Amino acid sequence: MRSIGVVVILAVAIALSISMLIARDAVTSKINSVKSSTGTTVTVSPKGFFGFNGGGTPLKASTIDALLNLKNVVSVQESLSEELQSSNTSLKSPTPAGSLGQQFGGGSSSSGNSNFGGGTGTFTIPVRVIGTNSPGTALVGGANGGGTEKLTSGKSFSSTSSADVAVVGATLASKNKLTVGSTFTAYGTTITVVGIYNSGSTFADSDVLMPLATLQTLAKATGDVTNATVTVNNVNNVASVTKAVTAKIGSKADVTSTQATTEAELAPLNSVKTISTYTLIGAIIGAAIILLLSMLMIVRERRREVGVLKALGAPNRSIIGQFIAESTTFTVLGAIVGFVVGALLSSPIASALVSSTSNNSTSNQTGFVRGGGGRAFAGGASGFTPPSGGFRGGGALRFGGVSNTLDTLHTSVGWSTLTYAFVIAIVIAALGSTVAAATIVRIRPAEVLRSE
Amino acid sequence: MLKVKNLNKTFRTPAGDVHAVRDVSFDADNGEMVAIVGASGSGKSTLLALLGLLDAPDNGSIDLDGVELASLDGSGRTKYRSHQVGFVFQQFNLIPNLSAKENVLLALEYSHWPKADRARRADEMLDLVGLNDDKAQRRPARLSGGEQQRVAIARAFAAQPQLILADEPTGSLDKSTGQKIVELLRSAASTQRATVLVVTHDDKVARQADRRFEIDDGVMAEVS
Repeated sequence: MRSIGVVVILAVAIALSISMLIARDAVTSKINSVKSSTGTTVTVSPKGFFGFNGGGTPLKASTIDALLNLKNVVSVQESLSEELQSSNTSLKSPTPAGSLGQQFGGGSSSSGNSNFGGGTGTFTIPVRVIGTNSPGTALVGGANGGGTEKLTSGKSFSSTSSADVAVVGATLASKNKLTVGSTFTAYGTTITVVGIYNSGSTFADSDVLMPLATLQTLAKATGDVTNATVTVNNVNNVASVTKAVTAKIGSKADVTSTQATTEAELAPLNSVKTISTYTLIGAIIGAAIILLLSMLMIVRERRREVGVLKALGAPNRSIIGQFIAESTTFTVLGAIVGFVVGALLSSPIASALVSSTSNNSTSNQTGFVRGGGGRAFAGGASGFTPPSGGFRGGGALRFGGVSNTLDTLHTSVGWSTLTYAFVIAIVIAALGSTVAAATIVRIRPAEVLRSE
Repeated sequence: MLKVKNLNKTFRTPAGDVHAVRDVSFDADNGEMVAIVGASGSGKSTLLALLGLLDAPDNGSIDLDGVELASLDGSGRTKYRSHQVGFVFQQFNLIPNLSAKENVLLALEYSHWPKADRARRADEMLDLVGLNDDKAQRRPARLSGGEQQRVAIARAFAAQPQLILADEPTGSLDKSTGQKIVELLRSAASTQRATVLVVTHDDKVARQADRRFEIDDGVMAEVS
């Protein structure tokens, strides 16, 4: 009966350990998954730079190039954003100005804003041109902000090209009847279209991509860079690289990474991880103490038996082995029951922990998401489709999604959990047996038998 | 042959030193049954513990067939107990969760008796003490006091030790059963050629021994 009691108590402690272990694994997995999904990039832009509305003093390519020497930095993509006004190009923007744009465009000539047409009376959205030294990456998401661009015809240009070539968005190409091989003028120079991309977004497909060197020359912005994307070798190094980049560039630039925001979003999960870790350790220690005290009680009750065995010539190791086998049996039985119960309880326990710790942060995140959505595109007209992430405030939409995923934490029992459970059982059995062994060694058969 | 010379043992207690065994010397032949009689606290159980190497003497020697035992180290004592000594206790001290036969097998295991022959030897010893197969499979709780003591005797003699130390072997038994146990010890001593030392305060038991010693305040003397 006592043995059943010991096994039941051990099973409860082990069930708690296992459920905490599984919850911890699930949370860790989720944290890593979220971190991975947020990417391994650090964005560098001039201080005060505000999308294609400009602002700030462009950074110098030489400064940005130096970032490649930083530890854990894999590559650095540089880009220069410019706007082609109708006076500088033969291209016509496919994006309608919308009612807001018309208001700006039709405003008084005295308060004219060159970006918005000023006093001309007819406002047109300028064409955004991006010079990049990483056309491959730009076309699969990142520098252009769309994130889903794909080359649909023609080819791209090389990263070191300085040719007068461009890859244009499908919407812009359609508006201007451009195909591969067509030409247009920009900054008084004839540019040849070498490729056309499509992202599915009208706004993102209205841009022109050109070699960085070409645009720097044409726009008389030699060595200027308005945006750099630093790629880090590992998601865990993003924070340290962000710090290093900030230290390197100083106050001239805004250095941001999606990781910083993600860390804040992940705070509830980290809390759950901490709670589950401490509970796991506590449960293991508790189980070990239970077994230790139980074994101590059993050995003390069986002092006479130990004394008799010693009198019969049993070596200490043989008697200790017998008690270790006993404590191991208790632990294995407790572990089997505890593992099953723990595995069943892990999901509701993890959900309860997560929901109780994420409620407060969720309300904060909502405000952030709404605030970030369209501001970077203040000039956007009706019909604007926000990008899916990556460019300015768009990323927050994705972070808003992080809080939603907190409630969809999945628990599972893998080999690693089984291995840890086995190790936990061994540790508990070993700790429980140690005191029993020490007590057995100290028992003197003469004293036990004399007390008859 | 057992030769004990000038054996001494003193216990330190808060109330002062207790000289439990004082200069005890005696000899006993193989196959001989020796009774040691004494009142409670006279030192007889301490003497038995010293001879069984359950405790270490302060000084003196214990010679068993030419081997000096008092100077053995821990593992030597353990080996000596498993091979050369058999214990019979007043309270039987069988392992409760083992059957009668398993209790006998335990002694054979510790003495490294050949594995293949252990079961046969255990059966032989249980047969010698008059326990049939059915009782051999029973746990101690399902045996009477006399039967338990028979199992204890079978266990003590199983590994063919040279020395059997019996501490009040009849103390928990009725007279008739006690008498049978004494006869059994005597017969086993003779057939197994072992020296049997019986500690008792029962004069009737002592009188059945080949020789009798009386111990008082740690001092032992032979009684004619």
